[in-house]
Amino acid sequence: MYALDVDAVASGFERIVPPNAVLERISSDNIFTEGPVWNKAEGALYFTDIIGNKIKRWSPAEGTHVVMDPAGHPDGLTLDREGRLVVAGWGARTVWRLEPDGSATVLATHFDGKKFNSPNDIIVQSDGAVYWTDPNGGCYNPGMCDQDVQKYHDFQGVYRLSPDGATVSLVVDDFEGPNGLCFSPDESLLYVNDTLRRHIRVFDMQPDGSVTNGRVFYEDKFPERGVPDGMKVDVEGNIYCTGSAGVHVIDPAGRLLGRIKVPESVANHAWGDADWRGLYITARTTVYLVRLSIPGIPHGSWPGAR
Amino acid sequence: MEWNFELVAGPYGGTTEGPAWDGSALLFSFTHGNLVLRYNPTTGQTTEFRKHTNRTNGLAFSARGELFACQQFSRRIIRFNPDGSSAPMPYLLDGQYHNNPNDLAIDKQDRIWFSDPIHRLSLMSSPQPHFEHQSVLRLEQRFDRSWILRRMTFDTSSPNGLLVSEDQKTLYVADSSPVTRLAELRAYPIRDDGNLGAYTVLHTWGHDHRGAQRGIDGMCLDEAGNIIACAGANRSGAGPMIYVFSPTGRVLSTHPTPVDDPTNCTFGGPNLEDLYVTTLKGHLFKVSNTGHRGWLIYPPKS
Repeated sequence: MYALDVDAVASGFERIVPPNAVLERISSDNIFTEGPVWNKAEGALYFTDIIGNKIKRWSPAEGTHVVMDPAGHPDGLTLDREGRLVVAGWGARTVWRLEPDGSATVLATHFDGKKFNSPNDIIVQSDGAVYWTDPNGGCYNPGMCDQDVQKYHDFQGVYRLSPDGATVSLVVDDFEGPNGLCFSPDESLLYVNDTLRRHIRVFDMQPDGSVTNGRVFYEDKFPERGVPDGMKVDVEGNIYCTGSAGVHVIDPAGRLLGRIKVPESVANHAWGDADWRGLYITARTTVYLVRLSIPGIPHGSWPGAR
Repeated sequence: MEWNFELVAGPYGGTTEGPAWDGSALLFSFTHGNLVLRYNPTTGQTTEFRKHTNRTNGLAFSARGELFACQQFSRRIIRFNPDGSSAPMPYLLDGQYHNNPNDLAIDKQDRIWFSDPIHRLSLMSSPQPHFEHQSVLRLEQRFDRSWILRRMTFDTSSPNGLLVSEDQKTLYVADSSPVTRLAELRAYPIRDDGNLGAYTVLHTWGHDHRGAQRGIDGMCLDEAGNIIACAGANRSGAGPMIYVFSPTGRVLSTHPTPVDDPTNCTFGGPNLEDLYVTTLKGHLFKVSNTGHRGWLIYPPKS
C-alpha cells in the first residue's frame, strides 16, 4: 500500500479521487504489464505481459495466474458482447479472440493486402464493431516482437472491424504513434491519443462507423516520465489517460483536473470491481489498484452493459 | 593512379552505409530515411529495396546468400527474407539486450560477427538498459540449428567496421576510444576453437589540438587480402580518404575522397572491380579504376 501521491490541478479532482485513496500493489513479478480488463461475471482482472508473452488473470481470492503462454506478445485487451477476450495482438500483428475453451480465433490480420503494423489497444462498440490502434512498436521493439518484424504500411492508423467480422476499414491514418482509444459514454465521440505527439484527439462518430472532425483535445506538456498510452472514460465522460507521472484525469471539455501519480511508468488502466470504482493500473512489472469515487463505464456480457 | 570517384546516387542529406553487392546491384542503407536502397549499375537507377527499416546500418550476405542487417534502433540483427518479411535474430546476451549493432561480417561457418557500440540517441529513447561494454558479439548456430549469441571481444571501447579474412584466421576490427582518443585498426587471430587471441594493432590514428582523428568507419577486402578502409575527416588529421592496408598493416596507398566522412565501402560489378563508397552526407560513389579486385563471401566465385 502506498498513500496516493496526486497532483490536484483543478476543482472537481477531489470528487473523483478521495483524499484517503491508497495505491495498492496487487500483482508483481511481471515484466511489462498492459491490457487490463475486468470480467464482472468472474470478478477477475485479465491483463497481458507483453515481454513475458503471457495473458494473466488476477482475482482477489486467487491472486495472479497465467492464462496463456506464449500469447504472441499481446497488448490491449477488451471484452466482446459475449464476454470473450478480444486481443490487440501486438507482436503477433493480428486481432484475435480467446475462446472459452482456451483456443484462439483470429479476427483480422491484414489491410489492403498487407499485414498490420502491431495492434496496440482495442475497444468494442455496443453494436459489436471493433476498433484498434496500429502503431509501429511491435515491429520495432526487441522483446515484444514475433517472427516477422517488417513494417509494411506507410502509415500508423486506427482500424475498424465491422460487427459481422467481414470488413476491416481504415478509420484514420494520420497518426505518428496511435495508442489508447475510447468512446464517450454515449459513443458519439472517439478519443485517440498519440504517444509520439503527446496529445489526445477527439473525433465525431458517424452512423457508418467512420469518424469526422478530428481535433486536438488535450496535450501532455509535463516534464516527468510517462507518455499518453492507455485511455478510458468514466460514466460522467471524464477521460483518464496515461501520461507524465501517471494517470491524467481530464474533464469532457479537455481541462486537466489532476494527476494520479504512480511510481512506475504507466502503460494502461481499466475499471473493475463490482461497483466499477476500482481503477486497475498496469505499470511495467506491477499492477496497482486505486479506488475512486466515480465509476467507469461497465462493459461485457451482463444485463445493462454496453 | 588517381582514383576517379563517380557519384552514382545521392546525396540524400543523411548517412548512407552498409554497401553490399547482391551479384547484380548494390544494396545500401540510407539510415535516416529508414530505407535500404538498391543501385543497379546496368540501368543507373536507384530503387527502394526495403522501407521502414528503423535504421539498418551494416548489411551483409552470408555465403548462402541470406541477407542480414544491423537494425541499430531496434537493437538486433535481422534477416531480410526474399518474401519481404524480416526475421529478428536473438538479441539477448545473458538475459540482457545488446546495444546498437553497427556493422557485421559473416564467416564461412555462417557465424555473424557484429560490432555493438552504443548509439547516443538509443541511450535516451530505448526502454531497456545498455551494456557497460561495447564489444564484438557473434551469432552462431548450435548443433540443433538454433541461434545463440556470444560476446567475443573483452577489450574494445567502441568497435565499428569489422572483417573476417578470406582464410578465416583473422578478425579485423576498427576500434576507437574516447578516453585515449586513439583509433586503431586491430587484427585479432581467430583461434581454432573459435575464440579470439590477443590482437595486434595494424594502424593508429591519434589526436592533436584539432581533436581526435577519425579512424576507420567501414572497410572491405580485396582478393590479395588487403584492407580497403574508409577513414579520416577534414576536421583533423590528413583528411577524408580511402586507405589500402596490407594484411600486416603497411599503408600501400591512400586516396582522398571528394567529400568528407566516407563511411563504408565494398566491391561490386561483374568482376568485383568497382569500389562503392558511402558517406555521412549520403552519397554513393563508384570507383572503377582502383586496380584492385574485391573478395566477397557472396556471391560465390563463378
